[in-house]
Amino acid sequence: MAVSDAVAALPAKPENRQARTAWGLTAPALALMVSILLVPVIVAGILSFTNYSLGNPGFDWIGTQNYERLFTRSTYEKMFIATFTYVVTVVPISVGLGLGAALLVHSLGRIGDIYKTIYFLPVMATLLAMAIAWEFMLHPTIGMVNRTLAMACGTWFEVIPFFANGCAEGFPLWLGDRDYAIWVVCFIGIWQGFGFNMVLYLAGLTSVHRELYHAAEMDGAKSGWEKFWLVTWPALGPTTVFVVTISCIRAFQVFDTIEAFWPQGGGPNKSAYVMMFAIFEKGVQQNLIGIGSAITMLFLVFVMFLTLIQRWLVERKVHYG
Amino acid sequence: MANLKVTSVTKQFGETPVLKGITLDIADGEFVSLVGPSGCGKSTLLRIIAGLEAPTGGTVAIGDMDVTGMQAADRNLSMVFQSYALYPHLSVAENIAVPLRMREVTGLQRLPVIGGLMPGARGQKQSIATSVARAADRLEIGGLLNRKPGQLSGGQRQRVALGRALVRDPAAFLLDEPLSNLDAKLRVQTRAEIAELHRALNATFIYVTHDQVEAMTMSDRIAVMMGGEILQCAAPEIIYEDPDDIRVAEFIGSPKINILPLERYGSDLSLFGRSLDWHVTQDSPQVMQLGLRPEALHLTQSAPRLRGRVAHFENLGSEVFAQIALEDDAMRVTLRATPAERQMLGLGAEVGLAFDTRSAMAFDADGKRLRKIEAMAGVTSEVA
Repeated sequence: MAVSDAVAALPAKPENRQARTAWGLTAPALALMVSILLVPVIVAGILSFTNYSLGNPGFDWIGTQNYERLFTRSTYEKMFIATFTYVVTVVPISVGLGLGAALLVHSLGRIGDIYKTIYFLPVMATLLAMAIAWEFMLHPTIGMVNRTLAMACGTWFEVIPFFANGCAEGFPLWLGDRDYAIWVVCFIGIWQGFGFNMVLYLAGLTSVHRELYHAAEMDGAKSGWEKFWLVTWPALGPTTVFVVTISCIRAFQVFDTIEAFWPQGGGPNKSAYVMMFAIFEKGVQQNLIGIGSAITMLFLVFVMFLTLIQRWLVERKVHYG
Repeated sequence: MANLKVTSVTKQFGETPVLKGITLDIADGEFVSLVGPSGCGKSTLLRIIAGLEAPTGGTVAIGDMDVTGMQAADRNLSMVFQSYALYPHLSVAENIAVPLRMREVTGLQRLPVIGGLMPGARGQKQSIATSVARAADRLEIGGLLNRKPGQLSGGQRQRVALGRALVRDPAAFLLDEPLSNLDAKLRVQTRAEIAELHRALNATFIYVTHDQVEAMTMSDRIAVMMGGEILQCAAPEIIYEDPDDIRVAEFIGSPKINILPLERYGSDLSLFGRSLDWHVTQDSPQVMQLGLRPEALHLTQSAPRLRGRVAHFENLGSEVFAQIALEDDAMRVTLRATPAERQMLGLGAEVGLAFDTRSAMAFDADGKRLRKIEAMAGVTSEVA
């Protein structure tokens, strides 16, 4: 009886055993992934519907109140404007400059390495330290920028309205001026980020088959421009998708420049109050975990949305291989 | 269609000379192969003709017009690359259409949306589609037009590359080892197809290859290149039967030609110390080389000129190649025999070899052909 049971049970067993082993082997990785990646997101999602503060014994459910605030209060309106201004400015310009620099550096011989290093320096530097350097340079009275601009006073440069105004009424306060603050931050973001994009594009360029350029020439592509559109740009498709996605995510995450320039509140009149800074201010400085979580969730939605667009682009338009 | 003239073209990469004064005349409608071992400069020469590389010296003329300083795009040549160089993001139809689009459609008309609204755009699009369909039909790739190159096999890619070359009417076709990435069977088939294509188009073809079989089977003329020079440029049968240089004789022909040392004692020529009964004048060189194709040798029992042992033997069915070790393994020669002679060629068997004087070739110590010596030797042996 026992023997026949064992025989009857055998045929089904190997697959079951295999499945069990497979799950057993996957379990540690799965547990880690769930506990350090998914659970925090879910917890943040839950907390975004509460008024929890760190240290409080309990919390109250307040429904969608946090989200309502996000979409009604003017502070958060400024947050969205600052964030999107930054993303929409920094991403295209840093990607374009990165591509342009990569094409130029790629066409050079050995000198290219020097340019590569120079353009990559800001990427390697600590942004916080660089921000302090920029702060000195942009100081309204003793800063290098305004002093240099002031040298143009009295010359034909004054034809330009910007110089005429500056010489008459003083040059902008830059970091203290709500019209300029976000653009200064954008400029620093581009200055800091395009070297990284250049390096990614340089890697992409090395994979372009050289013979394709010769084929393009034989096929009648006379100018470098025609060869670029026929060979280089399509070949860089996968790189471009990656570079744009990375740049977008990095742009959404901008924080350290703002924190270094205006530790007390996101720029003059909150004109540079970007999302990451808002999360930091609400969730950490003011210990309002509920609203901080709500902004975090919104941030996640944006990033997720970008990732989905990227996936769609990759499947639809970009050629791999 | 046009003739093509290359005049004393030189090319140097830094200090290294790659081409040492190449002169080559190619007639309208001719199929010329540039053949040679790798590194002989044949691809560089083709790229200079194409305009992808500038020569250090010399001129290139197409249809009696000097194009040396002209851009590749303006030379009206088509090229098939070894790697095919298809645009990976374009479909087969778009790939084939590229040469027409780049040449006949203006930059404005090529723009995505506005281009379609330009005057004449539709008619042009239609004429391009017709040309693409015609080229695709000719190469039997009509069913692949919507695929991307990544989805094609090597042979199909090769056809698309050919299609892209012949979709317009160029002055000449340049082919850079187009068959080297195909498997052996497909290579034989495509070889015949390219030769047929040449006959059908009646166009000028310049074909670069390192494979002497391709050169022999397809060309009107073969230019054998070595060390940056053209050693000989002639019809395949002349290259094979009547080479000017020992390097040409050795490069063309498989198995390789047998080279034996030839010595002159007085007016008598001898091979391994045995007189050949060939008489030459006293001013002939002392040491020479004798070239014998494997098919020039034959087995004989009576009065053999060479004796040896069978060292190795390859039966190909229709013919048998045997390596005969001569003079105590000092040298080996390859013999082509008929299957009927197989039993005489057992491993280790002692055999005697003879050859026809008229098919023997004499070269001097440096490898230059000595036709005068052959003439003298041929005459005397016939008398004898």
